[in-house]
Amino acid sequence: MTIEAPQSSRFIDDFKAELKPRLREFRNSLGLIRENWTAMMGIVMVLFIVLMALFAPFLAPPQTAGDPMQIPADLSLPKPPFQEGLPLLGTGGNGIDIYYGVVWGARTTVVTSLYVVLTAALIGLVLGGLAGFYGGKIDEIIMRFTDIFLSMPALILAMAIASILTKNLENMMFALIIVWWPSYARLIRGQVLSVRENTYVEASRAIGCKRNRILFKHIIPNSISPLIVSITLDLGAVALVSASLSYIGFGVGPGYAEWGRMISDGQRWFLSTITYNGVSYTPWWALVFPGLALLIFTMGCSLIGDGLRDILDPRSRRG
Amino acid sequence: MRLSRYIIRRLLLVIPVLLGVSIFIFTLTRLTGDPVAAYVNEKMTFAQIEQVREQYHLNDPLPQQYLYWLQGIIQGDWGWSKTAAMPVLDAIQYYFPATFELAVISILIAVIVGIALGTRSAIHKNKPFDHATRVVSLIGVSIPVFWLGLLLLQFFYFELNLFPVKGRVSDSFIIARTLPAGPTGFYTIDSLLAGNFALFGDVLWHLALPAITLSFGSIAVILRMQRNSMLEVLSLDYIKTARAKGLDESTVINKHARRNALIPTTTVVGLSFGALLGGAVLTESIFSWPGLGRWSAASITRMDSASILGFCLIVAFIYVMVNLIVDILYAYLDPRVRLG
Repeated sequence: MTIEAPQSSRFIDDFKAELKPRLREFRNSLGLIRENWTAMMGIVMVLFIVLMALFAPFLAPPQTAGDPMQIPADLSLPKPPFQEGLPLLGTGGNGIDIYYGVVWGARTTVVTSLYVVLTAALIGLVLGGLAGFYGGKIDEIIMRFTDIFLSMPALILAMAIASILTKNLENMMFALIIVWWPSYARLIRGQVLSVRENTYVEASRAIGCKRNRILFKHIIPNSISPLIVSITLDLGAVALVSASLSYIGFGVGPGYAEWGRMISDGQRWFLSTITYNGVSYTPWWALVFPGLALLIFTMGCSLIGDGLRDILDPRSRRG
Repeated sequence: MRLSRYIIRRLLLVIPVLLGVSIFIFTLTRLTGDPVAAYVNEKMTFAQIEQVREQYHLNDPLPQQYLYWLQGIIQGDWGWSKTAAMPVLDAIQYYFPATFELAVISILIAVIVGIALGTRSAIHKNKPFDHATRVVSLIGVSIPVFWLGLLLLQFFYFELNLFPVKGRVSDSFIIARTLPAGPTGFYTIDSLLAGNFALFGDVLWHLALPAITLSFGSIAVILRMQRNSMLEVLSLDYIKTARAKGLDESTVINKHARRNALIPTTTVVGLSFGALLGGAVLTESIFSWPGLGRWSAASITRMDSASILGFCLIVAFIYVMVNLIVDILYAYLDPRVRLG
């Protein structure tokens, strides 16, 4: 007599077995990305920011104990960049060290975007999968929910949710997750509906496969590649919206290493003139450098996303 | 299906969405704390507060509270805006024309520039012009709106002193009391109607930077869509036929190809209008534009959630309506849609 494995673990094993060839396909596709020079450029840009985030403690070691995300400030007037004996990228309002802020701000942006997008994608995967696969009332309810959330522009919906919460980074991420899951639910549902119509799904139904088995063995694995494209593009979009929210005053407080916040802090000085060593400057650096870092990240994500879309769609590749 | 029946069906579908949005916003208002706080002051006794509670039906079950709240919304009671020091609905009416004028001008710029560039880059596929527009659209979708606005302001106002720094008109017009009281609330149209060309020029001068900032992202989206749909149309048989029968290229492009390529582009115009309303919050704050966006951004620093939620409600309403109009327009332009 054999002992049968519990149902749930069998589904997981099935799922893993089905995922393997697709991951191999994905690796092959990644090989193709090397020929796509714009996507390669995107990878370099995103890698630059990610490495900065990872190695922040080495690139800009915190001088004092306490929260390393608070930018060190000498409470003086802004000073220009690239000067002897001064922080590399100069100092901004309250004398905050711009270089330190840009480096540690990479951490905030990368962590926020990854956290928001992956959580939203997971919620969307589950709810969209349920809606598409079971149809009927569940589908109706979930889709009407997404209708409501998608009928407001992303930034404004996030503002509405954040407005009733305490202003901090966690609540901002929470608001962004609520904003982002519906588009994933829609995407997955559409994908499930189209995969479900394939003859191989009909065949496995005909030989008596259980519904859960079909869901994990056929439908979810075949919905992965549009999800990957969407996640890549959204990493940049979330970085943009979260910086916008910080800029208008949600999220983190002043002096925190977050690029949107640094731009809004730097804004106070950028239409004035300061003098350093007898030379007059307009403190452009306090907002140009954080903005540039943000632009590199968002642009990189959108280049990779576009490249992946071309590569992962086999019709456009082999056609 | 006839077009009129399609319109009626789409109108009916909007109702549940708007009700859903209102339930969502209502839930948020009830999560901000005790709603009675909006009506009481520190001099009131507990009995008086209880009376207020009774008066505004705040002791009723939530579904009933929602109905009373919805009734209030329909009758114009949107709460009190601390930021504007007036009722929320009055504030919206007061700030709306400035935002709407900015949004309309921006979307016009985006549509004209986006379609022109998109069409041309499809014709010159993989030529230098196409590559250049691709860079423009890439920057357009990735650049932070507020950063772009600040850079433009620093360069054109502070360095070159070419454009003004804030507001819809110069102070001299406000002091001289020559502002149009006109029928539309659009300074551009009202000043023309009043025959005041100096004012009209001044209004355009003030509009330039905010409108360019706001339209940049939409240009990118519209440009991409127009390029793709133009490429698709150009590969169709009827274009080959048109060329084969000896029509000159400009007729083929302008009369045959572009018209049909415009149809899918209309849908992204509706969608980018939403992004534009979001961008207005940032752009208006930077250029001190006296509109809804700046008002709502100011409400954030004052923790004035009644104003923010009122703003969200009106934006959701506008967004749903704009997309409804776009859908109807789409069905009108492309009869195949109605059959589905």
